[in-house]
Amino acid sequence: MYFQDLILTLQKHWADQGCIVTQSYDTEVGAGTMAPYTFLRALGPEPWNVAYVQPSRRPSDGRFGENPNRLFQHHQFQVILKPAPKNVQELYLESLRKVGMDPLEHDIRFVEDDWESPTLGAWGLGWEVWCDGMEVTQFTYFQQCGGFDCRPVSAELTYGLERLIMNLQNVENVYDIEWVKGVKYREVFHANEVEMSKYALHESDPQMLFTLFDAYEKECKRLIERHLPMPAYDYALKCSHTFNLLDARGAISVTERANFIKRVRDNARLCAEGYLQMRERLGYPLTKTPWTVGEQPPVLEGKPASDYWKTVQLNKPVEKKEKTEVARGA
Amino acid sequence: MARDLLLEVGAEEIPASFIVPALEDLKRVLAERMADARLKHGEVRTFGTPRRLAVLVRDVADTGEDITKEVLGPSAKAAFDAQGKPTKAAEKFAESLKLSVDALGRTTTAKGEYVSARVEEKGRPAEAILQDAMHAAVHGISFKKSMRWGDVDTAFARPVQWLVALLGDTELPVVLGDVKAGRTTYGHRFLAPGAITLKAPADYEAALEKAHVVADVAKRRAELLRKVNAAAKAAGAQLLEDDGLVDQVTNLVELPSPVVGSFEERHLDLPPEVLVQEMKSHQRYFSLTDANGKLLPRFIAVSNTPVRDEQLSLRGYQRVLAARLADGRFFFDEDRRTPLADRVEKLGRVVWQGQLGTYLEKVERFRALAGFLAQATGRAGEAATVERAATLSKADLVTGMVGEFPELQGVMGREYAKAGGEPDAVALAIFEHYLPRGAEDALPSQDAGALIGLADRLDSLCGIFAIGKAPSGAADPFALRRACLSIIRIVLGRGYRFSLSAAVDEALRLLAPKLANVKRKPGEAAPREQVLEFFRGRLKALWGEQHRTDVVEAVLAVGFDDLVAAKKRLEALSVLVGHSDFQPLAAAFKRVVNIVEKQGKDVAGGQTNPQRFTDEPEKNLHTAFTQARDKVGVHVRADDFASALKEITGLKPAVDTFFDKVMVMAEDKDLRENRIRFLTEIGALFNQVADFSKIQAETAAAA
Repeated sequence: MYFQDLILTLQKHWADQGCIVTQSYDTEVGAGTMAPYTFLRALGPEPWNVAYVQPSRRPSDGRFGENPNRLFQHHQFQVILKPAPKNVQELYLESLRKVGMDPLEHDIRFVEDDWESPTLGAWGLGWEVWCDGMEVTQFTYFQQCGGFDCRPVSAELTYGLERLIMNLQNVENVYDIEWVKGVKYREVFHANEVEMSKYALHESDPQMLFTLFDAYEKECKRLIERHLPMPAYDYALKCSHTFNLLDARGAISVTERANFIKRVRDNARLCAEGYLQMRERLGYPLTKTPWTVGEQPPVLEGKPASDYWKTVQLNKPVEKKEKTEVARGA
Repeated sequence: MARDLLLEVGAEEIPASFIVPALEDLKRVLAERMADARLKHGEVRTFGTPRRLAVLVRDVADTGEDITKEVLGPSAKAAFDAQGKPTKAAEKFAESLKLSVDALGRTTTAKGEYVSARVEEKGRPAEAILQDAMHAAVHGISFKKSMRWGDVDTAFARPVQWLVALLGDTELPVVLGDVKAGRTTYGHRFLAPGAITLKAPADYEAALEKAHVVADVAKRRAELLRKVNAAAKAAGAQLLEDDGLVDQVTNLVELPSPVVGSFEERHLDLPPEVLVQEMKSHQRYFSLTDANGKLLPRFIAVSNTPVRDEQLSLRGYQRVLAARLADGRFFFDEDRRTPLADRVEKLGRVVWQGQLGTYLEKVERFRALAGFLAQATGRAGEAATVERAATLSKADLVTGMVGEFPELQGVMGREYAKAGGEPDAVALAIFEHYLPRGAEDALPSQDAGALIGLADRLDSLCGIFAIGKAPSGAADPFALRRACLSIIRIVLGRGYRFSLSAAVDEALRLLAPKLANVKRKPGEAAPREQVLEFFRGRLKALWGEQHRTDVVEAVLAVGFDDLVAAKKRLEALSVLVGHSDFQPLAAAFKRVVNIVEKQGKDVAGGQTNPQRFTDEPEKNLHTAFTQARDKVGVHVRADDFASALKEITGLKPAVDTFFDKVMVMAEDKDLRENRIRFLTEIGALFNQVADFSKIQAETAAAA
């Protein structure tokens, strides 16, 4: 199976389940989770089922194209299923079968992994899925995003596309992956890796990046005040990427690090809140659709978790909201 | 007719470390609820795999037992008037129990006579009891971390997929989140994916066995170990023992299937600890050695599925390990480019604890303290090694390898120190200052590591106590209990003689600049006292495991500033206490101590005046005491507490005669006070070994 076929097969599988297939988000992110299709959509009571490839930039993982496994930019195949279907594990395993990973031929295992993103104020529990000892997917049930409870809970499946295909093509070096017949990963991305690593690790201008960070942060806050959470979130993402660049350059000391992370997280929280207010204003339109993926069993005890949003107060003015938000997020 | 009960919670893969504690919770709650409802039953067994937690209870009775209880009402005085007629209070009591007043009786308790009634309580049917009990049990498991799933508000370790609640052939209606109990379970995820309908609880284990699941944790562990050992043997190798890894892997699989793989031999020049850690911590592979314990370039991975073609999955296992070892090699090579000594400065940017400063500051403090301890313990010859090793001891925390594998702290310090040309003794001390890392771990083999380890831990203990963050309850974020136990074990193991309180004072003196602005809560003891009290608590717990608690307390009561001496006193006293003639002895001692305690404070201090003795028995006792005191002094200085005790116990006949014949509380004040002073001196002699009044003995109590 070629790299391209892996992507097409996964897309087809999840599209067949009823997911929408969107295109990669068009600003720099470190992971598929950070695209608004995940981070924002995981919030609130509305259903959401989506699959997309997300190029993910990790400046500090840049290895100048010399490491067989680590990359400045790798590709994640991201699936969000909300609410998480009862049979999500089965749907996932079916996708592995379709790409040629037969669980009777490979040792497929769900190994405990707690996921937490301090920059997003998000956490969840789940597993890293192993295929013959190699982590091929991060499988997470979101519990919180931007400091807000995820009710209902989304299942997030993050396939590491390069790792998966290396196993399927039985190659030891990421640059030996065959993208399509006759074209290798090396031809497509090696030069990019070399340049991006040089930039991130040696050439970037920390002074400019610090200035940009401050400017992006300010713009994000300003847009929040203007009740524009979507563009505000773009600037929160730019802050995050700028921070990653500074970190890779070794420009941020250990003590400053925590403070930068907090600044990114604070903005992500404000965006999450702004997004929830916007959806509430719109009347949570997706709740009126019959959109579901997979098995949706009835709630047998207590109330549905999504009822929570009927009682949450999100419509107060933004200025005052900051305090209540902190209290709730604490 | 007794029936069996099966409760099974089927879940998506539960973290390995959660399984055993969860089974204990499940069993405990279920058993408690059955006991409360007086529901008799037979054996209780648990089963657990990553996908299930189950309890099987044999021979459950059909109903709880009936009992007759006595209920107490108002006091007899209040319930009956002078004529013996029931009052309103009695009538109300009877009414509340739906009885007539005539049915009331009377019961005499320690507090007086009360009206009482005998009430019969019927046992409830097993179905009703168990339905509640199982609900409580499945909701009562406390996981380290739990989560919500789908659109339900319930939390569990991972989403619940199915429930089985069977009493005999009857399904009981138990609900958890979005799952309703039935009689359907599932076998191995891939080898037996279909539903399994259980006829009866007793079929459970066999049905799962057939479906490729070894449900009993102990059985699965034994099977794993047997298979892994067999695989090692077949490969001409030996398993590197690791109980923790066996436990973990046991609960990562439902059916253990080991395969032997290999890695490139060139990686064997990495430190063995690095290789073992690379295999174990991410991959959960077992390491293999030759007959001499030398690491081989082989490993065993344990699969959950016996795959069709082992070679195919093996390729995967090997590829992952190769990538990990390449990373490890990268760190090892990178790290060695910078000498350890050059990294020390960087510790100034790593915070150890907000108020107590950076690692660099901590290193400087405990380096000075280790020097102090080297002098105090008579190891001044080690001072140079201590100084150098202490300086470098934490430098590996800022290396890439320790960043990746925190478990390798100390190991990498040792390796990098060697690579940088430090003396072997320094390299060894860097590693050994972390020893012991747990209750089972070895102690440092050399003084330098031991002294640095003591100093590092004393600095942590004193610092954290001084800023008011002493451990409370289960919260001990700086692992101070373990640090304190390690200090005790090192001091005793290496036989260091020094004053513990002086060492604590020195540690606090070194910490003083950090503590200038710390305000103590009103009524809170000074840090020095808190730390020493903490030591007392640890010593009580540690020594209480092998010695009588009262004997431990008797020894600690007279001090533990010299830990080694305290331990010897304890051992000598324990032997003595074990003898049958100890009890009368203790009685005699206790009499002395009691009088001194009661009367001693009213008597001005000063020496006994032998000239003032009037009676023969007191003169005799004084002679015996004077001789014994000199000998006890000699024995104590020689650490021979058994002989010291022998001298002390030799005084018993003279003490007995004294108490029989001499009136301590004489009319004459001078005479009386002289005798009390004398007894005080005798008490002080005893106190060189222990406070005998703390020892509990029936005869001692009677005296």
